[in-house]
Amino acid sequence: MNKITSYIFIFPAVFLLSLFIIFPMLEVAYFSLLKYSFFGPNEFIGFENYSRLFADSNFWWTLFNSLLYVLVTPVLMVVSLVFALSIRNSMRSAKVLRLFFFLPVITPIVVVGIMWKWIFTEESGLFNYILSLIGIGNVPWLTDYPTNVLSVMILTVWRGFGYYMMILLAGMALIPKEIEEAGILDGANPFQQVIHIILPNLKPTLLFIFVVSSSSAIKLFTELYVLIPGVPMNNKTLVAYLYRQSFERFDFGYGSALAVVIFIITSVFSYANIKMMERQ
Amino acid sequence: MMKYIRYCILAVGAGIAVTPFLWLLSTSFKGAEELFAYPPAIIPSVIVWENYSGLWNAVPLGIYFINTIVVTIISVVLNVLLSSLAGFALARQHFKYKQTVFYLIVASLLIPKEVILLPLYTIVLKMHLADSLAGVIIPFLVDGMGIFMMRQAFLSIPKEIEEAGIMDGASPFVLWWNVMLPMTKPMMATLTIFTFIASWGDFLWPLVVLKSPEHFTLQVGLSYLMGTFVDNFRYVAAGGILSIIPVIIIFIFMQKYFERGLFAGSGK
Repeated sequence: MNKITSYIFIFPAVFLLSLFIIFPMLEVAYFSLLKYSFFGPNEFIGFENYSRLFADSNFWWTLFNSLLYVLVTPVLMVVSLVFALSIRNSMRSAKVLRLFFFLPVITPIVVVGIMWKWIFTEESGLFNYILSLIGIGNVPWLTDYPTNVLSVMILTVWRGFGYYMMILLAGMALIPKEIEEAGILDGANPFQQVIHIILPNLKPTLLFIFVVSSSSAIKLFTELYVLIPGVPMNNKTLVAYLYRQSFERFDFGYGSALAVVIFIITSVFSYANIKMMERQ
Repeated sequence: MMKYIRYCILAVGAGIAVTPFLWLLSTSFKGAEELFAYPPAIIPSVIVWENYSGLWNAVPLGIYFINTIVVTIISVVLNVLLSSLAGFALARQHFKYKQTVFYLIVASLLIPKEVILLPLYTIVLKMHLADSLAGVIIPFLVDGMGIFMMRQAFLSIPKEIEEAGIMDGASPFVLWWNVMLPMTKPMMATLTIFTFIASWGDFLWPLVVLKSPEHFTLQVGLSYLMGTFVDNFRYVAAGGILSIIPVIIIFIFMQKYFERGLFAGSGK
């Protein structure tokens, strides 16, 4: 009796996850070996899609761009660390302040795109106006490569730093008070405290942020889609290329090979992430 | 001294976080001639409400709102319910294949949504759910992270409470619903606010599924608005502002649970 209820309890979740996540992934792996056609029979072609992919310059361009976006990770780590260190001893009174920091995190990506598109507009945008005050001329934030990569990066850092700041605060709360007090007694100045006491103890948290931020950078697509939808292929990312192959070109087999490659790259990060969660 | 440096850093950070919102708000009240003014007008010289009424008349914004509310409410309720069912079974019950189920959930966490978009769409197509809200909602009714969060909450309940329930002759269902579920309220609140933010702002999947404007959610509608009203950014700005008000209001009420969830996510 008890056993049956266990299965009833677990069934909806198992069913939904199997049908809508696990099964499609298996399909992707299988279709990557086919010359897929919506109308005729599918032809098994082995790894031909993969060899086509590795000979495709668009693949290498988009892979390069996706890896380029991983550069936001160190920036995000430093920025969120600076804010976490600044806010941490005034936590209780800082609820409103934290609300401000969270606003970018909770805002839908489309609205984030609208905001930044307007800020980055070249002729009358706020950003170029501010830059002109310090003598920098019209920067083509949305049209030129690689400046538009930088724009998407700025958007990503703006959207993420409040989130990572909070994760770092959680990590800092775990550092035993005695260790920090001992440091103060030994006469460490605030800078030395950060370098010798806080940072070494934050290692697991920093590693967590590195993994999460890097894997979402590799999957980056919607940020690009909402900010600069029409950029040429060699400005795009892996997932943007996948989206195009799937929903604009309908090259299902080829797109699936690309999907498998993206999956392999991101699973390295996700696997590390799960290992870390298990340890905690 | 240190204190003032810290305050300055925080003020700058808060300023950077909030400025794009204020800029969008200001834009949404500007008149046509002020929109492209250079240097930009920080505060509109005249408040123009017509952008909002004009937007309301130009696109079926009310329908977008209703669609988004439907998607969000169903997603939140069923996500919390199904995650707590599964989390309870994983934390508190022994059954064959439990380990297998566990691995299946972990595997589901490894698969990015972006990678399975196309096969997922063909499944939805075969189920005749394409271009419907059901097609947006059903594939993501439950996710691995939520199950693990609820499992964690059930694991932290003392064994004595469960034993007392069993002594009183409670069935597993009663044990779950009447005895243990109420004790996981904080975690349910955390899961609620996370799911709320995610489904209210979800874009990529609804964009793939929805084709006809009367089924659009706010975010899909806004992205089309961005494409069609390139020359009238004031409407787009007004739409953006309207669409984030509900999230901000809900967030203010549930900030505590959101922060708790972030703390849980990083270990403690």
